[in-house]
Amino acid sequence: MSTATGRSGATGRSGAADGSERAGGRVVELPATPGLAGLYGRGVVGSARAAVARRRSVRPGSLPGTRLRVSGVRPDPTHLSDYQHLLHEGASDVLPAGFVHVLAFPVATALMVRPDFPLPLLGMVHVANRVEQRRGLRLGEALDVEVHVRDLAAHRAGVTVDVVAEVSVDGERAWEGVSTYLVKGVRLDGAERPDGARDSFEVPVPTGQWRLGADAGRRYAAVSGDRNPIHTTTLAAKAFGFPRTIAHGMYTAARAIAAVGPARGEAYRWDVEFAKPVLLPSTVAVRVAPDDDGFGYAVWNPRKGTPHLTGSVTPLR
Amino acid sequence: MTDTYLNLVNTGFTKKLAKQLGLPRPAVLRRHRPGAPLVPGPVVVLDDAASEKDADTVAQQLLDWDLDVRRHAGPEERFGAAVVVLTEVASPEDLSAPVLALGPVLKRLAPGGRVVVVSRPAAGATSPAAAAARQGIDGVVRSLAKELRGGATGNGIVLADGVAPSAPSAVGALRFLLSGRSAFVDGQLVEVDSDAGELPTDWERPLDGRVAVVTGAARGIGAAIARTLAGQGATVVAVDVPAAGDALAKVANEVHGTALQLDITATDAAERLLQHVRSRHGRLDVVVHNAGITRDKLLANMTPEKWDPVVGVNVMAPLRITDALLVSEALGEAPRVVCLASTSGIAGNRGQTNYAASKGGVIGMVQASAPALAAAGGTINAVAPGFIETDMTARIPFATREVARRFNSLQQGGQPVDVAETIAFLASPQAGGINGRTLRVCGQNMVGR
Amino acid sequence: MAAPRTSPTPAPAPATTGTGAGAGTTRRAVVVGGNRIPFARAGGPYAHSSNQDMLTAALEGLVARFGLAGERIGEVAAGAVLKHSRDFNLTRESVLGSALSPETPAYDVQMACATGMETVLGLSNKIRLGQIDSAVAGGVDSTSDAPIAVSEPLRRVLLDLSRAKTPQQRLKAVSRLRPAHLAPSAPTTGEPRTGLSMGEHQALTTAAWGITREAQDELAVASHHRLAAAYERGFFDDLMTPYRRLTRDANLRADTSVEKLAGLKPVFGKSLDAPATMTAGNSTPLSDGASTVLLASDEWAAERGLPVLATIVDAEPGAVDFVHGRDGLLMAGAHAVPRLLARNGLTLQDFDLYEIHEAFAGTVLCNLAAWEDEDFCRERLGLDKALGSVDRSRLNVTGSSLAAGHPFAATGGRIVATLAKLLAEKGPGSRGLISVCAAGGQAITMIMEAA
Repeated sequence: MSTATGRSGATGRSGAADGSERAGGRVVELPATPGLAGLYGRGVVGSARAAVARRRSVRPGSLPGTRLRVSGVRPDPTHLSDYQHLLHEGASDVLPAGFVHVLAFPVATALMVRPDFPLPLLGMVHVANRVEQRRGLRLGEALDVEVHVRDLAAHRAGVTVDVVAEVSVDGERAWEGVSTYLVKGVRLDGAERPDGARDSFEVPVPTGQWRLGADAGRRYAAVSGDRNPIHTTTLAAKAFGFPRTIAHGMYTAARAIAAVGPARGEAYRWDVEFAKPVLLPSTVAVRVAPDDDGFGYAVWNPRKGTPHLTGSVTPLR
Repeated sequence: MTDTYLNLVNTGFTKKLAKQLGLPRPAVLRRHRPGAPLVPGPVVVLDDAASEKDADTVAQQLLDWDLDVRRHAGPEERFGAAVVVLTEVASPEDLSAPVLALGPVLKRLAPGGRVVVVSRPAAGATSPAAAAARQGIDGVVRSLAKELRGGATGNGIVLADGVAPSAPSAVGALRFLLSGRSAFVDGQLVEVDSDAGELPTDWERPLDGRVAVVTGAARGIGAAIARTLAGQGATVVAVDVPAAGDALAKVANEVHGTALQLDITATDAAERLLQHVRSRHGRLDVVVHNAGITRDKLLANMTPEKWDPVVGVNVMAPLRITDALLVSEALGEAPRVVCLASTSGIAGNRGQTNYAASKGGVIGMVQASAPALAAAGGTINAVAPGFIETDMTARIPFATREVARRFNSLQQGGQPVDVAETIAFLASPQAGGINGRTLRVCGQNMVGR
Repeated sequence: MAAPRTSPTPAPAPATTGTGAGAGTTRRAVVVGGNRIPFARAGGPYAHSSNQDMLTAALEGLVARFGLAGERIGEVAAGAVLKHSRDFNLTRESVLGSALSPETPAYDVQMACATGMETVLGLSNKIRLGQIDSAVAGGVDSTSDAPIAVSEPLRRVLLDLSRAKTPQQRLKAVSRLRPAHLAPSAPTTGEPRTGLSMGEHQALTTAAWGITREAQDELAVASHHRLAAAYERGFFDDLMTPYRRLTRDANLRADTSVEKLAGLKPVFGKSLDAPATMTAGNSTPLSDGASTVLLASDEWAAERGLPVLATIVDAEPGAVDFVHGRDGLLMAGAHAVPRLLARNGLTLQDFDLYEIHEAFAGTVLCNLAAWEDEDFCRERLGLDKALGSVDRSRLNVTGSSLAAGHPFAATGGRIVATLAKLLAEKGPGSRGLISVCAAGGQAITMIMEAA
């Protein structure tokens, strides 16, 4: 099975699969961006292994220091167009931050399915994402993608981990994404669970709405390569406790930053916090509007007034 | 509208069948076609001895039109037309020779042939015998017309005493009656009252440069009038009610005229009409009061809703607009007003007291307005159509329609263009000597005069 | 390059408003008259008429009214909002189907609901510049005969299939087809960038400006009553040509009342905190129809003895950032009008007549409220005080879109022709202001004067 991501190949730097030590951990150079389908297979196995081990807690410091690296990634123009059309992005040659996330995602997944990663891949919930786009990346530039994990933290519902992806061109860091995932029901040894209630959500005046079809998950899966079955098949979604498939969090966040439009500039911070997942199909209310130092956005259920995600886009400099 | 029966008895197998069964066989009428000869064969000009000079004048006129003219009917010939000049008859006895000479010509008249009798009005005769002779001609014309077959027609021109056969309207009427333009005019006498009028430089476009208003122009006879007037050179302002605007626009565009959506019964109708014509064209030469409606009901059951609009549209509006026209600065130098009367207005019709009142009214209006128009250098006349194949008559039940249609000398209904051609003639410069008259376009309908 | 702003006395014209962009050395562009077909409700008598059918019908009526059969007009511009791809040359095709000379050039314009206004604006400018002497502006829309597109995946498959050269490529393309792809996708009135329908957008603005249900219903009733009265006095006799047996706008309800409208259920803004106030009665229905306007130079009209009703004095387009909620979708007119006024040295009260397109009753009322609002005028329009109020007895005096209906691109032509005739009736010196809002947060505003 080919994934859309598979089209974004690496320029064949000689496959130095062996690691080389670097500050903060061993760097493992992959010959090319890995295929996500295979990774999910391994993820299922790894998750099963974790389940067999009935691991209910993790030790602080148990995260591997390994950094996975793919060099010379050159995005495919058709892939970029497909992404831009689906996410309502402009037709520029500048890569949207969400698209760069898509490019880095298989590398991050590859890191998380390695045996030394202490948490199960399946069932991980994306609770927050922070991206710093330091400069605009352009189609044609060779991107070096490097991923590591850090910051195991206690959460009221389990434990969170940050997956950090860095994208550089010629040694200069241009993009950095930090995805925070929650693993429910797992405790961090020696840490108190914070009991802090969620921030209350005040329903804003909408500026728009999105009608997300039943196929919204499958369509983003095709473009992002993230074919996590909770987004694509009802059965799998039910297995994880959702009545229907749910939209990819990054899809909704990327729609929001697309709605900011050209006003965001080429360098910006893009933050999002995910609350309740968006069940598909559904029509959600949206507000994307200027605030103090950039744009704020929120997506919520217009009938219940409960938030799906909130975030901001802040131009840098 | 198509007359299926007429088509059947004139084509193929059904033509033969109709002949063998002795069914009435209405002919396909000879109508005007550009480029076709004025008459379908030689013309014989007959006269009584006293009228020979006038007959010579007529014959010369015909020669000027490049016609093959004979002063005597030879034995073997077929004729396109016969013109009988009887302007100077003094006694009924004088009719014998010319009328009997006409007899054999009728047998040899080509399909679509014409008989035109030129005479004088009985009212102007100086002796009872002369009056008898003149009135006798009226009877001859109406009777011979009923004898003619093959789409041939017989009509008369009655020249007021003092009006020469060379007067523009005498010449104009002669040419009209000989031509295909008078196809459905049969058994009628066209009265020429004066020498007024002017011969056109181009007989095909006598209305060149004239501005004509046609009311009720969206469809049927009105649309045909607009087309015919435009075809003869007029600039047409096509008027109809706003609700008929789409059909009206089609007609106006077809004739390269303008459309004016106007309810002619509105109080400001005349003002708006004249304002339109004044601003667009500067003046108005021809008004055709064609707009008309029917609301048939036996008088016993008549209501104001069925009476008043018929009178309002058919006669009150023409009265008001004509009045306004006469005092308007927009009036052209030789104005022509032509109204639509009806055979119902002459002979009456069951269930049409309202319609007959309005159409009879038109005939009276035309007679009474003639002096005023004459004073303005113009004329006012009416045309009384008989059964004409239109959307309106198509709605008559089949049996009634079939009877009405065949109940005339030509055994068929007329076409809208037949009415239009007669109106165009009355609107033409050459018709300036015809005023206050009502001319029937009815195929010599059996009802009325 | 900026238009020269010299002393405003164009040759054949009486004194005009003056300092407008076009009132310098250029000649006048005048409205000779207009023609439209009655507007039908969607699915009504024009359900099987195409945009080309209706535009041709409107054009034919105009040609007949002004005796233009066989004439070569300088240029014809029109457009449609909902447009079939086969109608790429909609206006030219309509011209070829009309009685106009086939040597009349034509082009299509699309500016959503302001399409008709934009055709008037563009063509009048060409006349003022002397590039053309006569023009027909217009617009048409059919929501009944709207284009239906295939779904995006099916479209991709079909395009790839048409490009495929080998059987393998064809097979590969076809194999991507899924039954769900066969569902057609119809155009919506939704804004692409917000996903909200125009009604939902207006509901946000209506709520923001606190416009009441009663005020909206009153405006709607006035629109119906005024349109009905205009028909009664024959006002439209020389502005309209019937089509498909329709002789009046099908949406017109002469007997409507505030009581009747009060019974209708709200249809927009139902999920907002503010009470929902927008109903089918105070919103325009989906409509079918077409309109045209004959524009000319004074000389061209005089040569043909044609009337000259009004002059196109100046116009100003506007747009707002509705995507991020800074302004309401249909509020661009509120921004454009003050710029237009300033350029022409006029105040909002210097007009005898106002035509504000009734996309929704709320649209008109929000624009009026904005001009009356001191804060809005200072902060958003950069003025030192409020523009002030509009005399409601001069607003939409023969009704507007709530009663007549709103075939998107046809509305501009309806309003320009109507206002031109109203100004001509009022007499020399009378002045009118138009504001027509459009999808995409746009508007065109215009000043006209009796000629």
